[in-house]
Amino acid sequence: MKGSHTYRHVHEWAFWGFVAPSLVLFFLFFLIPLVLSVGFSFTDYDGWKRLNFVGLANYAEMFQDKNFYYALGRTFRYTLVNLPFKVFIPLLFAMLATSSYVKGKGLARTLIYIPVLLSALVVGITINWMFSAEYGLVNFLIQKMGGKPLQWALNSNLATFVISFASNWSSAGFYMIIFMGGITNINRDLLEAASIDGANSRQTFFHITLPLLAPTTFLVVLLSTINLLKEYALVQGVTQGGPGLRTTFIIQFIIDKGFKQMQYGYASAVSFIAMIIFGIIAFVQFKVSNEGGEN
Amino acid sequence: MKEARTDMGNTIHARRKTLGMTIVAYGICLIMVFPIIWLVFSSFKGAGELFAYPLHLLPRHFTVSNYTKVFENGFFRYIGNSMYLAIVGTLITLVISSMCGYALAVYRFELSYTNKVFAVFLLGTLIPGETLTIPQVSVISFLGLYNNIWGVILPVVTTTTGIFLFRQHYMSIPLSFVEAARIDGSSEFRTFASVMLPLGTSPLITLAIFSFMWRWNDYILPLLVLSNQENYTIQIAIKNYIGFNGVDWSSILSASVISIIPVIVIFIVLQRYFMEGIAAAGVKE
Repeated sequence: MKGSHTYRHVHEWAFWGFVAPSLVLFFLFFLIPLVLSVGFSFTDYDGWKRLNFVGLANYAEMFQDKNFYYALGRTFRYTLVNLPFKVFIPLLFAMLATSSYVKGKGLARTLIYIPVLLSALVVGITINWMFSAEYGLVNFLIQKMGGKPLQWALNSNLATFVISFASNWSSAGFYMIIFMGGITNINRDLLEAASIDGANSRQTFFHITLPLLAPTTFLVVLLSTINLLKEYALVQGVTQGGPGLRTTFIIQFIIDKGFKQMQYGYASAVSFIAMIIFGIIAFVQFKVSNEGGEN
Repeated sequence: MKEARTDMGNTIHARRKTLGMTIVAYGICLIMVFPIIWLVFSSFKGAGELFAYPLHLLPRHFTVSNYTKVFENGFFRYIGNSMYLAIVGTLITLVISSMCGYALAVYRFELSYTNKVFAVFLLGTLIPGETLTIPQVSVISFLGLYNNIWGVILPVVTTTTGIFLFRQHYMSIPLSFVEAARIDGSSEFRTFASVMLPLGTSPLITLAIFSFMWRWNDYILPLLVLSNQENYTIQIAIKNYIGFNGVDWSSILSASVISIIPVIVIFIVLQRYFMEGIAAAGVKE
């Protein structure tokens, strides 16, 4: 009796010993900042000396700040417009990369994945170089075909297009791999049965593959939604948020407010709203994936 | 006779389809890789060729001047800093994540709060670190780690993905291994370090690769925490070629190429683990 008691005691100590390093660092650099962030949002903190309680002033200011609404709206629009491409392009790649009609699939997979390895900043720079207004490859080709060179960086729609192009380019390989996992999990017998019953490949795709891929598709939708909403480093390689603030998305809005304009308190209030948005998405993810698990 | 003919028709059809689909697939590959090829070839062009029409894919006058220029600007130091960040950060991540994932798996039946501790770490996946940068920098400054490479290592070494990966792995190993070691009188830590850890090299390698890539490509924290030029990582050095008056293209192209070499080499050598990692845990920070 006493023996098993000390045994458990030792295991308790061992458990906390094993988790302590991770737990301490997680407290210091995640949980404490989480609490501080909410705390700062009720102050006029400037990141240096000034730190006074100001109640809800930051939130009141935020709800009247046109630039905040623009940044948030711009981020949502950017996310919604890009979402279909983030799903369908990788799905198409995954279908090709698992098709029995494609030879040398391993190499194809490797090549498509390579852009995923680049840092977001370098992704931005690489694509920006092709779209640079003077001496860029794309403008060169446009002129060769008799068109007029486009001001990719000066027009907000064109700039957003370049950013979107870079973002899709860099993530397609990653989501392709996720889709490939889903596709290889589909029971071969089902596909064979369909083909014996005379279904053509289009029918098989729309009536068997696509419905069975629903959980994978949902995962890709969620991951790309989160990653689109927090797009930041890539934009620094393309437009740095310009022209004006026209490609400044919400994370950059927070960081610029905080570290450039030294409005830590105000930036924390905006962060808090962003956290709630991300929290809701994560909650939906948790709900849906749990329901999927019960089936 | 008739059957044989349709068979032949089918084979020809299948061959055509194979040819067509393979061409489409490799066309896509070319489009995906082309921006990098264009970047690499451009980096070997001199200023006179970079900024003059007509453009050519291959450099007319091959030069490494863009490379010598960035190395003269202290690039060896930035590569060194990035290597230090990536290697030290990865080692710490491996040690603490394997320990933590192990404990969360092995004591899960015995200690009732194990899953609650795991739930705390899962909080980390709910809120992206990007929204916490402001208070994170305050904590880093408070600890005296501002403008210190440890200020960009310590905040990011705990990854829920890593803990999750090891927890899954150790849950798949029968607890009887642990019991047997205990009966032999092995201490809890020795059971972990010399019995269980050697049983799982696959999650170790997977996490090592991803962690190295994340740390090598880290951007926001190094940008905000490392203010002194001699502490810059390669990403921050690259970012500094983008100025108010435009981009220093001749330097940024070669700097970007240098920055992608280590991760591409690691990827090509250890590709299998990349694919496994994504399939196993949807690994992305």
